[in-house]
Amino acid sequence: MSAQSGAAIDIAGLTKAFGRAKALDGLDLTVESGQVHGFLGPNGSGKTTTIRILLGLLRADGGTVRMLGGDPWRDAVALHRRLAYVPGDVNLWPNITGGEVIDLLGRMRGGLDRARRDELLERFDLDPRKKARTYSKGNRQKVALVAALASDAELLLLDEPTSGLDPLMEAQFQQCIHKVKQEGRTVLLSSHILAEVEALCDRVSIIRLGRTVESGTLGELRHLTRTSIAVETAQPLTGIDTLPGVHDLVLEDHHARFDVDTAELDEVVRRLAPLGVRSLISTPPTLEEMFLRHYGDEENATANANAS
Amino acid sequence: MTGVGGLLRFMLRRERFALPWWLLGACLLVLVQSTQSQNLYDTPEDLAKLRQSIGGNTAVIAMSGPPRLLENIGGEVVFEIFAFVSIVVALMNMFLIGRHTRADEESGRAELVRSARIGRRATLAAALTLACLANLAVGLLAFAAATGTSLPVSGSALFAAAITAVGMVFAALTAVAAQVFENTRVAYGAVALTLGGAYVLRAAGDVGNGALSWVSPIGWGQRTFPYVENRWWPLLIPVAVVTLLGTVAAALLERRDFAAGLVRPRPGPAAASAALGSPLGLAWRLQRASLAGWAAGLFLLGAAYGSIGDSIEQYVADNPEVADFLPGGAADIVNSYLALTAMTLALVTGAYVVVAALRARGEETSGRAEPVLATATSRAAWLASHLTVAVAGSAAVLAAAGLGEGLAYGLTVSDAGQVPRLIGVALGYLPAVLVLAAVVILSIGWLPRVAAALAWVVFGYCAVIALFADSFDIPSWLQRASPFAHTPQAPLDPLTATPLLIVGAVAAALAISGYAGLRRRDLGY
Repeated sequence: MSAQSGAAIDIAGLTKAFGRAKALDGLDLTVESGQVHGFLGPNGSGKTTTIRILLGLLRADGGTVRMLGGDPWRDAVALHRRLAYVPGDVNLWPNITGGEVIDLLGRMRGGLDRARRDELLERFDLDPRKKARTYSKGNRQKVALVAALASDAELLLLDEPTSGLDPLMEAQFQQCIHKVKQEGRTVLLSSHILAEVEALCDRVSIIRLGRTVESGTLGELRHLTRTSIAVETAQPLTGIDTLPGVHDLVLEDHHARFDVDTAELDEVVRRLAPLGVRSLISTPPTLEEMFLRHYGDEENATANANAS
Repeated sequence: MTGVGGLLRFMLRRERFALPWWLLGACLLVLVQSTQSQNLYDTPEDLAKLRQSIGGNTAVIAMSGPPRLLENIGGEVVFEIFAFVSIVVALMNMFLIGRHTRADEESGRAELVRSARIGRRATLAAALTLACLANLAVGLLAFAAATGTSLPVSGSALFAAAITAVGMVFAALTAVAAQVFENTRVAYGAVALTLGGAYVLRAAGDVGNGALSWVSPIGWGQRTFPYVENRWWPLLIPVAVVTLLGTVAAALLERRDFAAGLVRPRPGPAAASAALGSPLGLAWRLQRASLAGWAAGLFLLGAAYGSIGDSIEQYVADNPEVADFLPGGAADIVNSYLALTAMTLALVTGAYVVVAALRARGEETSGRAEPVLATATSRAAWLASHLTVAVAGSAAVLAAAGLGEGLAYGLTVSDAGQVPRLIGVALGYLPAVLVLAAVVILSIGWLPRVAAALAWVVFGYCAVIALFADSFDIPSWLQRASPFAHTPQAPLDPLTATPLLIVGAVAAALAISGYAGLRRRDLGY
């Protein structure tokens, strides 16, 4: 069982190329058992490729991949009994109804919970009698979600599962994932909806160009990035610009607005205190800001480097 | 109607690979028939004999056309080939219109196009224009093939115009079906049914007093009697029908929503039946309708062949040249006829098995295999599910063909024993058919991107070897490579187990090698 190793998914130095295009270039990812792990990255960064390797659909070129204590390629069938998957792009058989697809996928996985299935259909407001051809993208996604959530799988691999859902359904989805977490199950959630990741995830990995650029709890990631400060002091603000880690400073006598590397925050606050702080607003970085900082193209990165 | 020109250019670009093959196929039918007929019946006496023997043979008339055409050699060519060219051209038009109208709407591609500066009717107008161009091209090619084989110009012009007219009727008919039905396959089914009806109605009309031929588009074409009477006026009917159907399609288009049809789909079951719970259950569910269609079609084709089995003896006695085309010569005419038709039925079954086995690749490229393989379904079980349906399906299709031929032939000679005999003959081709299935699996395993093309090339090779090896000089080593060449030509030759077992073993080896390829490659590419 996965409990022995502690990690449900353990990937190190994973590489995968399609012809000359490198999809994964030394990706690392560790998902602890019982946690909800956010998997973030721009389009084409390798999220789906990673998940397909975990499913044993693609063969890794290099690196090590362990999932639930097994090898995803060799032990695919045995591992699949213990996981459920929601693809990012759900394609269904046009002449088969949603209810039939849910039952079919459930049975092929090794059985599904009838009562939970019906409860989920109700919750997601999905008509199981409609042929898959007539479903919208969101409804096809609901079919895959109900099929996955109605299972007892100990690991859920969700590839942008809510990209076609409305906010009401998004809320339902979050409730379901909370429940899954309470039951001690593990979730790998690839997502673009940052509010969703902030609400659900214990840990987050951000990947870019097939490589992991950040990984940790949201708190840890925040620590690695900048906090926005707006401050008003009794004495004129001097010497702030020379402090290490201060960026984008806007200074007018007693008022200052700037960003500071979160690691240097303590030093900056010590320096401000003697000046008589009248008001201080500190805004932790949002996930969006972290996201944009990592995703921003090379030009942006260079511009930032020059500014600092 | 804004944007018709741009859409038309785009459609022509999308058709640049498929359409030439259809045109070539239709043209080749005319070319081969004209050459063959002029070789077989090169004197007026031969033609007179043919007229005599066919005049009373209702089965041949039912399969071909009105015997009035047999007056001269040009008419004889039209008699033999017009119905089959019509079927090919009708199918070409069906797919042409369906692909660019309903199929695009169903896939959602048309939504993107329609959001641009494109009029509501532009797609339909462009598709019909495209069909019109294709039909004119078919007409031109048929004209070139006919005059090129030294048939009279005026008759050839009418022959070509009649083919074009039949094509346009089915283009306009598909345009209407595409408005009525939400699902492309259902629309195709309706048009194919009409095509079958057109063939049967003209058969009944040609055998009877001719009245029923006048409600069939194929009949309108045949009753211009090219080369014989050269009358153009029957083509006014297809012109009127095309105008009417085109207007109806445009009117229906105005009355329906995008992506909707006039027939609403009914809801299905909310839960899966017990049968739909395994990869095999899924493969069966996906393929059963297609299997039923193929089995019914081959049953009818077998019955058509069987019904003329008895009269073939008389026919060949009158036309000794025909015996050259039948293996075994004139000695055992009926048996060689049955052997040749059994081989033809087996070849058509080969087309079925290629379609059925390629389904696995279709599931993979459409992304529908992914959720299945993410369950506790192994690659072996997934592949085996589709292969099992293809294998069992081809046995069922062969049996249906043999049953049809046995029933029809048994009835004409009052011998119930023909039913099990001809079913047995047909099933003798099962190992050869399975080699085709195995070739599909092999290419899915090792060369997935070209699997479909490769499978159809191998099928085409088998068909050419089986049907034309004796007419053309094909080196024997090339003939021996076809699995069909290794099947005893029962009932002419005795059905022996050894060659069947060897062919079966080859099929198994190819399939296993294909699975070995699938096991080690990436899926979904």
